Amino acid sequence: MGTKRKLPAMLGVLVLLLTIALVSCGGNSTKTETPTTSEAPSASQAPSASAAVATTKSDGPVKGGEIAIPIVADPIFNPWHPNAFAESNVINRVLFSGLTKPGKDLAPAPDLAASWETSEDGLDWTFHLRDDVKWHDGEAFTSADVAYTFNEIALNRELGANNVSYFKNVKSVEATDDYTVVFHLTSPVAALPAYLSFNTEILPEHIFKGQDPWNLVSFNKEMPIGTGAYKMEKYISGQSVRLVANPDYYDGAPNLDAVEYRVLPDVNTHVAQALSGELSVFTLDDQAALARLEKSDEIKIIPQYTPRFFWVALNQENPLFTDLRVRQAMLMAINRQYIIDTVLNGYGEVADAGISPALAYYFNPNVKHYDYDVEGAKALLAEAGWTDTDKDGIVDKDGKPFSFLFEVGIQGNLVRIGQIIQQELRQIGLDVKFETLEWNAMIQKDVIRRDYDMMLNWWRYPADPDLKPYLHSSTAGTGYNIPGYKDPELDALLDAGSTTADPAKRQAVYYKLQEYMAENLPYLFLWYPMETEVANVHLKGLPEHLGFGDSLHYIDEWWLEQ
Amino acid sequence: MNNSRFILSRLWQSIILVFIVTVITFFLINMAPGGPASIMRMDTTQEARDALTVRLGLDKPVPVRYALWLGSAITGDLGESLATGQPVIQRIGERLPYTIELAILTLIVSVLLGGVLGILSAIRRGTWFDHGVNLFTVLGLSVPVFWLGIMLILLFSVELGWLPSSGTGKANATFFQHIRYVIMPVFVLSTTTLPTLVRFTRSSMLEVLSQSFVRTARASGLKESVVVYWHALRNALIPVISIIGVLIPRLLSGAVITEAVFGWPGMGRLVLEAAQGRDYPLVMGVTVVTTGIVVVSNFLVDIAYSWVDPRIRNR
Repeated sequence: MGTKRKLPAMLGVLVLLLTIALVSCGGNSTKTETPTTSEAPSASQAPSASAAVATTKSDGPVKGGEIAIPIVADPIFNPWHPNAFAESNVINRVLFSGLTKPGKDLAPAPDLAASWETSEDGLDWTFHLRDDVKWHDGEAFTSADVAYTFNEIALNRELGANNVSYFKNVKSVEATDDYTVVFHLTSPVAALPAYLSFNTEILPEHIFKGQDPWNLVSFNKEMPIGTGAYKMEKYISGQSVRLVANPDYYDGAPNLDAVEYRVLPDVNTHVAQALSGELSVFTLDDQAALARLEKSDEIKIIPQYTPRFFWVALNQENPLFTDLRVRQAMLMAINRQYIIDTVLNGYGEVADAGISPALAYYFNPNVKHYDYDVEGAKALLAEAGWTDTDKDGIVDKDGKPFSFLFEVGIQGNLVRIGQIIQQELRQIGLDVKFETLEWNAMIQKDVIRRDYDMMLNWWRYPADPDLKPYLHSSTAGTGYNIPGYKDPELDALLDAGSTTADPAKRQAVYYKLQEYMAENLPYLFLWYPMETEVANVHLKGLPEHLGFGDSLHYIDEWWLEQ
Repeated sequence: MNNSRFILSRLWQSIILVFIVTVITFFLINMAPGGPASIMRMDTTQEARDALTVRLGLDKPVPVRYALWLGSAITGDLGESLATGQPVIQRIGERLPYTIELAILTLIVSVLLGGVLGILSAIRRGTWFDHGVNLFTVLGLSVPVFWLGIMLILLFSVELGWLPSSGTGKANATFFQHIRYVIMPVFVLSTTTLPTLVRFTRSSMLEVLSQSFVRTARASGLKESVVVYWHALRNALIPVISIIGVLIPRLLSGAVITEAVFGWPGMGRLVLEAAQGRDYPLVMGVTVVTTGIVVVSNFLVDIAYSWVDPRIRNR
């Protein structure tokens, strides 16, 4: 009987040991094991395996092979569709082409448009189109496609197209001959070529004419016809999108035979599949998972600044936050470097304003900087009249405690960051109530109704320093100026920047704008995050200074080694 | 006669049930804060939001929208997905076969394995085998699905390279190529259903084994195996059948995490995306289809029940 009783206990210990063994072998031996698995992949997986091309190592690009890229949801093959999100963008910029694309230095570079010029008054932009471009179905691409895409889709107010906010000042687009289009503006927009490179690809008129562009399922969800380096082969909902090389691509046939996008909603699966060599390249948003990948010899991690900044918005309708000293104190209480080091694993830089170092020419490094300084923050609050008179740990003024609600939408690492910020603001005696909201509900409450005190989020913008939409008084209330901060001096700077075409003059304006932002804190600027691109070491030809999203415009140059 | 009246009344009840479910779902999802994903994005302008609200017909009051939806649903038209413009039926049709495949395989594995383990541990109650099974059911219930899924991928796909880590394989794959994609999802999903079945079979078997007819059977000199597998088992299986009825809805909708980890294109992910993106017609469509399947499978379970246990038919 005695031995019988011990058995279950022993079995339990055995199972536990087994579990631990399973877990730890999953964790440690990755580095040594990964190369083996990718050398001898099993039949149906690891597309890189079928890359049986040149047997000798060569220095230059070789043709052949295929790669796989993860996306988190089903895409829509129409860049202007209101439901085209990030997962669609990474496909659409490969299937389609815009008039311009981000250059390897991020400045707008020719794509469908070979060159462009603006009139004296800046109200007319003329784009000269390439005359050697064919749609994937063989039809010729002409100025009519450009005019149709803009006049009938983008500028059609009833459709509510994606990205229309960039083209608010575009009156119409005129095709003056087969390969020339003129954009007629109501006021000058210096950033127009940059906007035309950002998810604003051209659609084929011969397919869309007379159709409802949002309900043309045969195109948007089945067989898109683009002008890009790759064309649609097969899309299986919830599984994959397979594109094959377009041999007639106007910049020459691409190197890789095929690109497969796999619908994988779970980031941990991305990491596992990168380790097994099944996924070739993607952006990893959850930097906590990077540690696993850093250990692998088969994977390189490429950090890159992108035009993006994280911010805290303090509702300017709320009198608590209209005093600059209060905003300064709050910013000084947030240890931004600590958050970057812990939550972002170091991939980011403290932001003093909103123009990212990715836009090196316009980035002003010498602006007012607020160091992490709890005592200084408390002193500033006291100067603004906020002191803890009743010794309850919360500062108060005229008998009212400084208390407000801090809301964060559930996405990525926002909640973790929000919790840290809440704790830090409590240190200086602010009574911060923290609440998380489902993303969709957050947009309705905080962004549309502006029913919030404090929120945390980020902006991502085209590769141009024009931040007018996010800061101008005309966009307060319903536009992108979420804090609702208004100042004629700020408006003047934004207007000057957005209408000045001369780069040197523009640089001077935006240097000043950054000084203004850093001093007056219309937003609490947090950091410029670095995008961490994860790529298989055998994938070559990725442009050096572009993030993953932008480098997709150069997918025709990518190639696989071996 | 008796049978057809039973079936008719069940049918009537089912229709009422589906109706009530659609009313509740429609009002819940439409009253929930937020709106369709196309309207609720950070970078949509107010002008575009207003235009889209009108285009999607969301400017009408909710009861009117429900009446419109019901009117066309009765004619078999479940409308179009707000996100893609595709017919709801098509979007569900793309995913449903995969969900059913996963559900049926999981059910087969759980019932076979769960039945055998449950019976054996009931017969060998108190032995190391019983305790071992018990331990595994506790582990199965307590290990989070996403963790187990990732660990399996790391072991079998990354380390050993034996199994593909995601997807369903190529469209023209042979049965044996395809089955390799199914192994891990079915295993993971089974860990959520197996413990229930094992425990249920075990306790049901124990209860039957302690009843007087089993004692009588034993006393009448029948072989122990005949007593257990013929007399006791048949009776013990009756409640187990009812548990299968409970598991089916769970498998239809509860596989979201498994589907996400293994990139399995099932309905769980579809309905999650639909709810998050407030794709009202799609949410309704999935609700109707799922409720329908649950109603039908429960009906079949009831039939099976009355077939194994004649007492129920005559009640």
